[in-house]
Amino acid sequence: MKKKTMTYEEAVARLETLVGQVENNELGIDSLAPALREAQELIAFCKQKLYATDEEIQKILQETEKE
Amino acid sequence: MEKALTLYELNNLVRGTLETVLSDEYWLQAELSEVRVAYNGHCYMEFVEKDADGRQLVAKARGMIWSNVFRSLNPFFERETGRRLSAGLKVLVRVKVSFHELYGYSLTVTGIDPTYTIGDIERRRREILQQLADEGILNDNKSLPLPVMMNRIAVISSATAAGYGDFCDQLYHNDYKLRFVTRLFPAVMQGENVEASVLSALDAVLSERDRWDAVVIIRGGGAVSDLAGFDTYLLAAGCAQFPLPVITGIGHERDDTVLDLVAHTRVKTPTAAAAFLVSHQLDAATHVEDLGLRMVNGARLHMQGEMERIRQAAMRLPTVFTFIKTSGEHRLSLLSGRLRHAADRVLAGRRYKLAMAGDRFFSRVPAMLDRERFRLKLLEQRCEAVDPRKLLKRGYSMTFCNGHLVRDAARLKPGDEIMTYVAEGSVCSVVKDTKHEKENNDL
Repeated sequence: MKKKTMTYEEAVARLETLVGQVENNELGIDSLAPALREAQELIAFCKQKLYATDEEIQKILQETEKE
Repeated sequence: MEKALTLYELNNLVRGTLETVLSDEYWLQAELSEVRVAYNGHCYMEFVEKDADGRQLVAKARGMIWSNVFRSLNPFFERETGRRLSAGLKVLVRVKVSFHELYGYSLTVTGIDPTYTIGDIERRRREILQQLADEGILNDNKSLPLPVMMNRIAVISSATAAGYGDFCDQLYHNDYKLRFVTRLFPAVMQGENVEASVLSALDAVLSERDRWDAVVIIRGGGAVSDLAGFDTYLLAAGCAQFPLPVITGIGHERDDTVLDLVAHTRVKTPTAAAAFLVSHQLDAATHVEDLGLRMVNGARLHMQGEMERIRQAAMRLPTVFTFIKTSGEHRLSLLSGRLRHAADRVLAGRRYKLAMAGDRFFSRVPAMLDRERFRLKLLEQRCEAVDPRKLLKRGYSMTFCNGHLVRDAARLKPGDEIMTYVAEGSVCSVVKDTKHEKENNDL
């Protein structure tokens, strides 16, 4: 999967699919660990888009002040 | 010829007549075509009336509001209508007709009824909305789905307005550290230029629409509520057809402008607009957190299920073993039974063969015995023929030396003791001399 070109909505959709599969026992025990790992990556990807780092906030605020 | 009047005298006459005949105050409904507040606080205006088509002026009059009246009348009017007294507005005013020799005819406003203006504004709003509805674009922006991720916000506002600062402050200092990216697209938010200015800001956003998730149009809720600019057809049409969701927070409490009515989401203040965005992003974040939690729980449940399966299987194992053992034993006993039978059968066969062989053997025994007896008889006869005792009886003798039969005299030497057996008894003698057979023969 190409995470770089992935949009947030695609990531969430993929995450929803994975969760659905796990909740409906559609995945074998062997696929469980890879699925969990992928879900973890997707969550990290989404959170990175959702949450700002402190430095970013500072930077944005400084830019705002300049304007 | 009557004495001619001076202009002043004539105007004075007019004034006197007007003040006598039109001494009351009148309610006047008219449109404002010009409004100007002078440095001294008096407000000067022009009233007009147009024909049914709204093209031709059919009446026109100057008017004024003394500063002492204007100071209370103006805020009251703005508060009630959301409009400044300005050109284009239809008003219902109480006027006193006056005439000045130098300045001529004018109307002095002593009171105003905002409900008339409100009604007129409403009517015009309805007309605009109806037009948008007829064109099929009224709900275009409203029916845009809000993006799941909505944190790149194009802000249309006045940079100097307090509302913009409040908005940014609220957005960037949200309690959840949610990420937002904004840029200000400056626009005039009051007065006559609102429509053109906001439209050009929308154009600027449109030219880079891929960079933004939503547009926020905000304005600080100051004391003055001048919403006329947000009640225009062009702005409403532009907003309705805008490809990104438009969120308005233009700071008024009483009623919705046409812009509010066509916008995707309408909130009252810039702060509320920020709160709306934060809440939306929080929903997105909660959804992701929730999915993460569900994933972990689902996996855990799955694992527990597997463990249970294994446990169940382990519990069934002894039963299975017992079953296998029992069936194995059964098979074993069957096999051993078959083996025994097979062995019995083989043994019986062998036994039968043996018995047959024995019978055959024993049936031949008497013949064999006869044959052997006959052979024995022959042997006996032959033995009798060579019995030495017969030879001894015929006169032969047998000589032994040291238990050996003596056949060759050369084997004896003088002095040897020899035993000679004859038919009846034996003779013990000592050898004196021996002679070879040749010598014997010579004798």
